[in-house]
Amino acid sequence: MASLERAGSTPRPGALVVLTPLLCGLTCVFIANIPISVLGGLVVPVYFWCLVRPDLMTPAAVLTIGFGEDIMSGGPPGVWTLAFVLTYALVARQRDSFAGLSGLAAVVGFAGASAFACATAWFTVAFLAFLTPGLHLPPLAPIIGELAMTVLFYVPTALVVGWLHHRMVGASRGDI
Amino acid sequence: MANAWKIARKSNAQLPLVIVIALAIVLVLLGKAQSGLLDKARVHVTDLMAPVLQKVRAPVAGFDRFVGSIDQIFSVYEQNLKLKEENARLRQWRNAAVVLQGRVGRYQALLHAVPDPKMNAVLAQVIGRANRPFLQTMILNAGRQNHALPGQAVVDARGMIGRIYLTGQRTSWVILLTDLNSRIPVIISTSAGHGGNVQAMMTGDNSAYPTLDMVSRTVTLHEGDQVTSSGDGGLLPSGLPIGMVVSDRGGGWHVALLADPGASQDVEILNFSKPPETPPATAQLPVEAAGLKPQPLQPPAQPAPVAAAPAPAKTVSAPKPAAPETAASDAASAEDLDR
Repeated sequence: MASLERAGSTPRPGALVVLTPLLCGLTCVFIANIPISVLGGLVVPVYFWCLVRPDLMTPAAVLTIGFGEDIMSGGPPGVWTLAFVLTYALVARQRDSFAGLSGLAAVVGFAGASAFACATAWFTVAFLAFLTPGLHLPPLAPIIGELAMTVLFYVPTALVVGWLHHRMVGASRGDI
Repeated sequence: MANAWKIARKSNAQLPLVIVIALAIVLVLLGKAQSGLLDKARVHVTDLMAPVLQKVRAPVAGFDRFVGSIDQIFSVYEQNLKLKEENARLRQWRNAAVVLQGRVGRYQALLHAVPDPKMNAVLAQVIGRANRPFLQTMILNAGRQNHALPGQAVVDARGMIGRIYLTGQRTSWVILLTDLNSRIPVIISTSAGHGGNVQAMMTGDNSAYPTLDMVSRTVTLHEGDQVTSSGDGGLLPSGLPIGMVVSDRGGGWHVALLADPGASQDVEILNFSKPPETPPATAQLPVEAAGLKPQPLQPPAQPAPVAAAPAPAKTVSAPKPAAPETAASDAASAEDLDR
């Protein structure tokens, strides 16, 4: 009863707070697709807010971010949408395990989630190539490079996202 | 507290997650069924973002140039010598090309050959590169308002880069030759004396070296053989330089591209549309068409008319024996230049 009262007394977040994770994710999509194409870390906002404030990073927001990446990158429609949504489902399901990691283990945990996203994207494209006669299987090297760049950019991106979270959103899961 | 969060997630988020996963799968399948599903949205977004991309491009290009020039500072002297030598060779080639161009023009006129279709070109800047794991594309700042159309070839100073597959009002998407979905019919000019030209299909595989498919097994290729577009299908002009043949360890053949899409900043979009065929007028004499107009006959009252009379006939017949010789000498000089 007490917990219900406390949950009920939680202030309703403003529109800007609600939209911050989505806008941050879309900004990452934009940054990853400008001419400086070496930047990775697309999954970081999804991963971060799924752990910290899953009520703000909703499945619909993840769908929008993935859809934005599909539009901006010009790739086959739905590939990154599916990869992001499935990664979100995995992280949300194992949220307590991922959230309990710290230090190097946190980076390893993120690398695992990113590897899952990249593997999902690769298998989806491979499946599409399998359905199209004459298409080669996608090579593994570029997706491994993408994974490496994403993990490499995790710490700086997470710092920026964390700073943004404290400035715009404020409370994290433990604070409420 | 943690329990409250878990309850909240289960009641609010689990159901949408299932629906969202289903939506994502539907999107993948729809994209497969209708590949142009997101094209309009893409073009619209790119058109909107073109000014931003153009603004972002300038400092990035400047930074790239700065970084790229750092390692060249220490080799300026060697590069200068190399460029002077190359310049001298290119001047020789230019002279040979001018002579050959004139001769080819005369031969075409003599044979009433249908001239190659003329091409207009639109100069465009690269304002974005989608160098994602599953695709190799670039975005140009020229669209339908610049008469850029899907299917047109995009080249840089060295060779073909790709072709346009999507055009907006102000921007275009280019599918690179290295992209997984790229298929270009090509002609491989095999080394001298090994069987002439070979047709093949160049297939991108997202690596830097596209694969050569459908090469006849009876044909032996050699590393360094020239690869150009064949023009089959009428979508691309023939003879666009693409690259050179290289082999892999497994016996397959690939193409080392001449162009470098990663470094190209300014490119040309070739507007290849076959105009109506306009062969030379049939009433024109071959000698006139060849630029060898016979001299007018001298009046008989003039001195030494006998010596002057055979001159036109001599002029007409002169090119026939001379042509193979000059062609042979041109070929020889070209070989000398090669060496």
